Amino acid sequence: MTARNILLRKISTHAFAIHEYRLFLDTHPKDEQTIAKIAECEEKLRPLVEEYEKKFGPLRMNNDNTRKWTWVNDPWPWEGE
Amino acid sequence: MFVYEKRLQYPVKIKQTNPKLAQIIITQYGGPDGELGASLRYLSQRFSMPVPELKATLNDIGVEELGHLEMIGAIVYQLTKNLTEEQIKAAGFDSYFVDHTTGVYPSSAAGVPFTASYIQVKGDPITDLHEDMAAEQKARTTYDNILRYCDDPDVIDPIRFLREREIVHYQRFGESLRILTDKLDSKNFYAFNPSFDKKCFAKEKNNRK
Repeated sequence: MTARNILLRKISTHAFAIHEYRLFLDTHPKDEQTIAKIAECEEKLRPLVEEYEKKFGPLRMNNDNTRKWTWVNDPWPWEGE
Repeated sequence: MFVYEKRLQYPVKIKQTNPKLAQIIITQYGGPDGELGASLRYLSQRFSMPVPELKATLNDIGVEELGHLEMIGAIVYQLTKNLTEEQIKAAGFDSYFVDHTTGVYPSSAAGVPFTASYIQVKGDPITDLHEDMAAEQKARTTYDNILRYCDDPDVIDPIRFLREREIVHYQRFGESLRILTDKLDSKNFYAFNPSFDKKCFAKEKNNRK
């Protein structure tokens, strides 16, 4: 696996945990333990996203803060590279 | 509003092409219990949902389904990459190929194009939530059937992930239904349509006082 894919996999793991907690909170909005777990995951996710975007380009359009429009660069997520 | 994130919800990396399998899996792209229908169903039903938790659940699951649609598209795309004309013929993929080449078109495994008649928006939250729970189970069965035809671990892995999501969504919709009925008169949940007849929540307010 490439360094890019290893990092992307780490990002997806934490992002998935956050998503799953959020869905749970939609039907249990008063569950403070789960809200605290989201904060923990976000703490771990933030530096990974920063590292990824610095090395491989933006994950979201509005995160592109260079003067070059790197959003268009390959690979796109469905290409399996 | 939607913001695109340039990654899949779960990775799809398929090394071995398999057009026969692509033709089966495409049913979760545009078939009767597929991800396109799921997404449209929830994102449309949310407008007439009367309770905050239910609006949130339909909204957020509907958005996740768009991510699943993308994953299925990626699987079909990667399973049909760099095919030769001989491989296409041998796999029986020629009937799809003649209309769409190797583009990803929303249709069922039998080639029936996607139609909105796969979904319903009844405007009654009890009815809509029952449809949603059934839809998750139908999609789960479809993934179980797809897994019968998979022997490539690169395909099995993301399909299993998607199958598990159906079960989690089923759970969330079940909780949504309970949240709703807890607010209604247990002597007759069906006396009113909770989206249209707002007075059905009056009793709950009186109870709180």
